Amino acid sequence: MNPWYMAWRMLRREWRAGEIRIVLLALIVATTSLVSVTALSDRLEQAFEKQGSELIAADLVVELPEPPDRELIEQAEDRGLAHTLAVEFRSVAVRGNETLLTEVKAVGPEYPLRGRLRVSAGGDGSLAVSGPPATGEAWVDTQLIARMGIAVGDSLSLGRTTFTIAGVITFEPDRGGMGFSLAPRVMINETDLTATGLVGPGSRVDYRWMLAGEPPGIQAMRAWLLDNGVAEGELEDVRNARPRFRSALDRGTSFLSLATLVSVLLAGIAISRATQYYARRHWDHAAIMRCLGATQADITRIYVGQLVVLSLAGGLAGSVLGYVAQQGLVWMLPAMMSVDLPLPSYRPLLVGLAASLMAVLGFGLPAMARLREVPAMRVIRRELGPVPPRVRVLYGAAAAVITGFVFWLADNTALALWIIGGTAGTLLLLAGAAAAMIRLLGRWRGGLGASWRFGIGSLVRRGGSTVAQVVALGIGVMGLLLLTVVRTDLFNAWDERLPADTPNHFLINIQADQVAGVEAFLEDNGADVSRLTPLVRARLTAINDEPVDPDDYEQGFARRMVQRAANLSWLAELPEDNELVAGQWWSPDQWDAGLVSVERDYAEALGLSMGDELTYRVADRTFDVHVHNLREVSWDSFSPNFFLIVPPDLLADFPQSYITSFYLPAERGDVIARLIERFPNVTDIDVDAVLTQVRRLMDRVNWSLQFIFVFALLAGALVLVAAVQTTRAERRREIAVLRALGAQQRQLRLGLLSEFAVLGLLSGLLGAVAAGLIGFGLAELVFDIPYRWSLELWLVGLLGGGAGIALIGYLASRPDIKATAWQVLRQSE
Amino acid sequence: MRATEQAIVRARDLVKQVDSPSGEPLRIVNDVSLEVRAGQSVAVVGVSGSGKSTLLALLAGLDTPTAGSVWLDGQRLDELDEDGRARLRARRVGFVFQSFQLLPGLSALENVMLPLELAGMARAAELAGRHLDDVGLGQRAGHYPPQLSGGEQQRVAIARAFAVEPGILFADEPTGNLDTETGGRVADLLFRLNRDNGTTLILVTHDQALGGRCDRALSMADGGIFEAAN
Repeated sequence: MNPWYMAWRMLRREWRAGEIRIVLLALIVATTSLVSVTALSDRLEQAFEKQGSELIAADLVVELPEPPDRELIEQAEDRGLAHTLAVEFRSVAVRGNETLLTEVKAVGPEYPLRGRLRVSAGGDGSLAVSGPPATGEAWVDTQLIARMGIAVGDSLSLGRTTFTIAGVITFEPDRGGMGFSLAPRVMINETDLTATGLVGPGSRVDYRWMLAGEPPGIQAMRAWLLDNGVAEGELEDVRNARPRFRSALDRGTSFLSLATLVSVLLAGIAISRATQYYARRHWDHAAIMRCLGATQADITRIYVGQLVVLSLAGGLAGSVLGYVAQQGLVWMLPAMMSVDLPLPSYRPLLVGLAASLMAVLGFGLPAMARLREVPAMRVIRRELGPVPPRVRVLYGAAAAVITGFVFWLADNTALALWIIGGTAGTLLLLAGAAAAMIRLLGRWRGGLGASWRFGIGSLVRRGGSTVAQVVALGIGVMGLLLLTVVRTDLFNAWDERLPADTPNHFLINIQADQVAGVEAFLEDNGADVSRLTPLVRARLTAINDEPVDPDDYEQGFARRMVQRAANLSWLAELPEDNELVAGQWWSPDQWDAGLVSVERDYAEALGLSMGDELTYRVADRTFDVHVHNLREVSWDSFSPNFFLIVPPDLLADFPQSYITSFYLPAERGDVIARLIERFPNVTDIDVDAVLTQVRRLMDRVNWSLQFIFVFALLAGALVLVAAVQTTRAERRREIAVLRALGAQQRQLRLGLLSEFAVLGLLSGLLGAVAAGLIGFGLAELVFDIPYRWSLELWLVGLLGGGAGIALIGYLASRPDIKATAWQVLRQSE
Repeated sequence: MRATEQAIVRARDLVKQVDSPSGEPLRIVNDVSLEVRAGQSVAVVGVSGSGKSTLLALLAGLDTPTAGSVWLDGQRLDELDEDGRARLRARRVGFVFQSFQLLPGLSALENVMLPLELAGMARAAELAGRHLDDVGLGQRAGHYPPQLSGGEQQRVAIARAFAVEPGILFADEPTGNLDTETGGRVADLLFRLNRDNGTTLILVTHDQALGGRCDRALSMADGGIFEAAN
């Protein structure tokens, strides 16, 4: 006999008989939801990355000490990447007798590789442009216009060349990341660079080599660069260059992963229940086949073969459906959000097939594998079931498969641990609590009416399988609650951190005598100004008495940080959106001590550790501070945050400038222009672009979550149906016997309803407890969002779970009440 | 009892003991020795609970004894593992049960094909069709068990039992679930096929009349066995 062929033939026969369909349906729903959700999150994540790339004008920027050589360029081109070089340096611009230190940027024809530059020709409004200014022309920013008091059409000299100002840059995608760029911008064409005579041996120049292309090409290039002498710190992508966007991106993808994991888990439980049901129904078949001479290996091959065929069929059907479904949903997307959603990669299809196989193996194999243990004696003594010594090992293997799968899908260790730990904990909690409650119910039911007594009696009598049912249903309720109530709470908490009037402008370099004037100006123009924070600009000269030389640092962030003056602010209390990761905050008696609190990533980049002594110089004075603690900053809160904070009284008599942030509607750009005209030394940093991108990301995440929820709901309903189905055969017999003994339809209906209502209430209660605990853990430890316990969770869990399960259970069993007792008894023979 | 060349089923000092709910050991089969010659038909009769179904399971290798040995077709069963016994059954043994034990998801024809496929025989469908014709159900090959009457289901089970042309056929109350008339016709069929195929038949029944149609009758009571006059 060829058991695989047998498996296939038996499967075809089973298909006609109909029992296998619920397993296949569970598989298809699981795969469809998984593939569509993964495909969609894949597209969203690609879109997010693209959105993010627009913030640095490229997918990857390499900071080089000199222009890229032939080999580098060939490496990029071999990987199909677009590339361009931006040369940045500081130089003095001259107009007549007036001079101004500027940040010059010379760019090539491909600049910017991602996003667009916005340039205004002098009047109102601006144009999105690609490419550099024409030869002999320069674009400058509003700051330069204000400080030099010039206009479009005037000329300006840089080195040996005189440029005509052809436009004013109103938005430069890759400007204004970490740290503050203080000098005004002059942008010129790269072909004019040599003529200026400003760049030569020994001049301090940043070569920013920009790359863009498909993600695999970018990743390969990145790996190659790291293998060939480029340091991590010299590579810049949206993740390290835009911490505000990065935090939002991480949180957004965590939300998507959470939703995906929960729907997979639900579908997995549905598959597990369905295969258990299927396997149980086949104990007799296995026994008959054993009796007719099938070996244990034959039985294993036949049923595992069936599972493999099923998983392939379900996986394929689900993958196709999932692809169609997510595409359909993308078409339904509001136009604003569907633009530039890239096509999904091949990964979701792979995930779909792998998931289908793993779901079946992980969730279904334990039950099916027991079939080989069914003794042939069962044909004579029906009460004999399989004795399972090796099955425990199998469950262990299944648990390992599922755990690995969750980790692979989640791509986020904390999240995966919470989901796995939460589920395992929930399983134990549910099993224990369900067993205890059922025992209690058994004691109480004496005082109830006949129908209730019958309903609850059924639950108590089927103790083991009732516990299994409550566990499956409880997990189902937990999953649904996680995706509705908990998810909404978490998302709202995140959303609330970015209200409509989140500051989108930062003003820096406000002098002490300008504070009142700037405040008054902004208030007159309707901008809501937060408090002005003082800071001292100081240069880091030594670390632990070792002089600091920028050349000791790699190109990139750390080097930029030591090249420029640092901004030291002072605060009495730890800001609300900061979290200490090492050391203590200072007490009032330390307010004049030489201490500093350092942002963690900053400390890491500069190689600082706790207790290090930093020497700063302001004009001709120096002071020392010791690293007293390390902080983690929630950058996506968009309030002013500082890499370096000192105690409030330390720098009181140093020359100070002030910083503030405020919200200004995008169309009120004129306010900024007038402000800079009046206070030319003040610098405006416009974070509206990042803020807009973060909001867009949140909108997309929110919308996708609603979509994913539909699938989770389907998977959840399937769990309920599968759980009800597993005890259906037994229930049918009972109903038939009761009918034969003269029970009224009404009594039976009440009995069933009471059974399922109790089951639903138990599962709802336990599911709500579990969802609340997991939600709390996720909020605190994964999403970093304050968690509020909601009454809604309990109400929805208890009432929704109770009513939903009662209804589904009742509907699924109704045909058995309607059929005549004789029909049921004959069918259940 | 002396072993002979023709003995196709042989049991010696067979004991099956289980723990009763009170924890007391209970002997369902108590020190049974017997020999059945090839081609013989033997009835094991006795009241419910006398241990006859357990004896049948032990003789067919479906269950293992607490003590004693069984030889089936010259093969000592306790020398074989579960799978070894399964392989022996696939080649040499057929079964008919009181509750028919057809697979409800398979058609009549497919049920008959099953042992042929398990034994790895070619042309299973053709052979199975011929066996269904033999029991007069050729026309109903495509029907599923729930669509057949009890008598018809048992005839399908008999066709299935004879499909692999077994040397030994075990029947456990084959007419127990049927009315007298249908039961009589099913018994006729069973004995006819047994005769035509030269099969050894071991039949367990509480029906004295059915037992009386066999070459030999053994009577069981309280786990023990003795030759009844036939």
